[in-house]
Amino acid sequence: MSDTALENKQKQKRARTRNLIILAVVLVVMFLIPQVTSEYVTYVVVLAIIWAILTGSYDLTTGYTGPLTFCHGAFYGIGAYASALLTLKGGLSFWVAFPISGILVFLFAAIIGYPGLRLKGHYFAVTTFFFGHFMYLVILNSVSLTNGPMGLRNIPPPEGFLGITFTSLNSSYYMILIFGIIAVAFLYFLVNSGIGKILISIRENEELSQAIGVNTAFYKVLAFSIGAGIAGLTGSLFAHFFRLLHPTTFAWMTSEMVVIMALVGGLGTLIGPIIGAGIVTLILELMRFAPEFRFIIWSVALIAVLIVEPRGLMGLVSRIRGGKK
Amino acid sequence: MSAFLEVKSLRKEFGGVVAVDDNNFSVQQGERVGIIGPNGAGKTTTFNMIAGYFKPTSGTITYEGRKISGLKPHKISQMGIGRTFQIARAFGAMTVYDHVLTGLLAHHLHLRPTAEQHERVEYILELTNLAPFRDNLVKNLTIASQRRIVLATALATGPKLLLLDELMAGLTFVEIDETLGELRNINEKMGVTLVVVEHVMKAIMQLCNRIIVLNYGKIIAEGTPKEVSNNKTVIEAYLGEEETYA
Repeated sequence: MSDTALENKQKQKRARTRNLIILAVVLVVMFLIPQVTSEYVTYVVVLAIIWAILTGSYDLTTGYTGPLTFCHGAFYGIGAYASALLTLKGGLSFWVAFPISGILVFLFAAIIGYPGLRLKGHYFAVTTFFFGHFMYLVILNSVSLTNGPMGLRNIPPPEGFLGITFTSLNSSYYMILIFGIIAVAFLYFLVNSGIGKILISIRENEELSQAIGVNTAFYKVLAFSIGAGIAGLTGSLFAHFFRLLHPTTFAWMTSEMVVIMALVGGLGTLIGPIIGAGIVTLILELMRFAPEFRFIIWSVALIAVLIVEPRGLMGLVSRIRGGKK
Repeated sequence: MSAFLEVKSLRKEFGGVVAVDDNNFSVQQGERVGIIGPNGAGKTTTFNMIAGYFKPTSGTITYEGRKISGLKPHKISQMGIGRTFQIARAFGAMTVYDHVLTGLLAHHLHLRPTAEQHERVEYILELTNLAPFRDNLVKNLTIASQRRIVLATALATGPKLLLLDELMAGLTFVEIDETLGELRNINEKMGVTLVVVEHVMKAIMQLCNRIIVLNYGKIIAEGTPKEVSNNKTVIEAYLGEEETYA
């Protein structure tokens, strides 16, 4: 009995060392990318990082807490437009607009989530679907504010400090990478903390969770809003990195991609959706040679993945390792 | 000083159906009370009203002198009323250890569980004989074990009153005896008041010092196990029916 316990502990220790090594290698590679690869690759990796943060924050709501949502792209868009407008029309510095846009989206999500999350299961999912599309239409049609389908141009890059400027691709890359690391570390800490256990209990059985004293309504809104807030911050970074916004970036397709990436990676594992985001971005980029076919091929591949392993890549990993289901 | 738990003219209607029909009963601190009755007698509905899952159509429930009818389930849990479910779908993706720990965190949230909380989990795992399964995923265990895990988690919240809904359904005789021992421990050593809904007659007769019998939503008898099993109305409504199976 104690022998197996000891063995388990050693196994855990070995797994932890291995994970740390993998993490270190990945980080080193990520830091080297703009130095050793072309501008094009750097751009693609920036996109992958942005998708990874979006998908990771989405996993907090849907993967860990349970409610299926289809509006992550809308929160991303609100953050992007809020930040762009605060700098363009409000004359604020990026460093002020960035946190404000995150907080704004957090509060906005809380206002949506508080009444919305009283709905259960599919009903809430449908609500978020329409909310997402509604926000897209608002951005598209509020021409006086958002410039509508013409988009917003000349969004200023983040102001430099201490001799660092964010006008070059490389420095912007590092800023987004560092934000990504902070965001993922924050999410990792959160889902592994006491709050994470409370959230998982809601996902597993909301009634029982209430019976042991969890204010499930509060925690669902909290998780939803934190996920949204991170998406808002990501949107702000996106706006000031590309310096150009167009409503279609935040249309239904974006929310859908987030869901797909999370599913491919494996919901409720955090690392899965992040890897999923990277892989999906890469595959879609590699298939640029056939723009008409790429989404068809991609859809078929997605269905195949989900039939073979509904738990996504992380499910595949645990199956290969021979872990229990 | 009013009773520990007091139910006054409690009524619940679903559409036109009266599930619980103007019932009055009270529970004193430290008691082991059983609620029995045929299927559909309103036992679980009564539980759901005490625990805050259903709002009573009329009537009041007071607990430690405070009115609790109408409060949300988590509030009632925070006040010290724990419950288990007839159909226990436990938090399957968690390990047994984390499952019990979640009960503690739900009442005293810490980002990192404290050493005291870890100790408490160990204590409860020992008490409920779950220690050997601590690292197993809950979903890989049997339904009977899952019910026991839900009980352990309810205990972790430090309740003063536990509502146990058919904890022993489907257990073997040996398991029933084990569970009865555990429940007596919980009642006597931890001082937790128990209210038990159960179909396993042998268990409820052995465990409880008072039994309330429901039929068609109404209390038809109340008393010690002996009194109840000799009560003519009860035999007609319930035990007579049961005997034909036994």
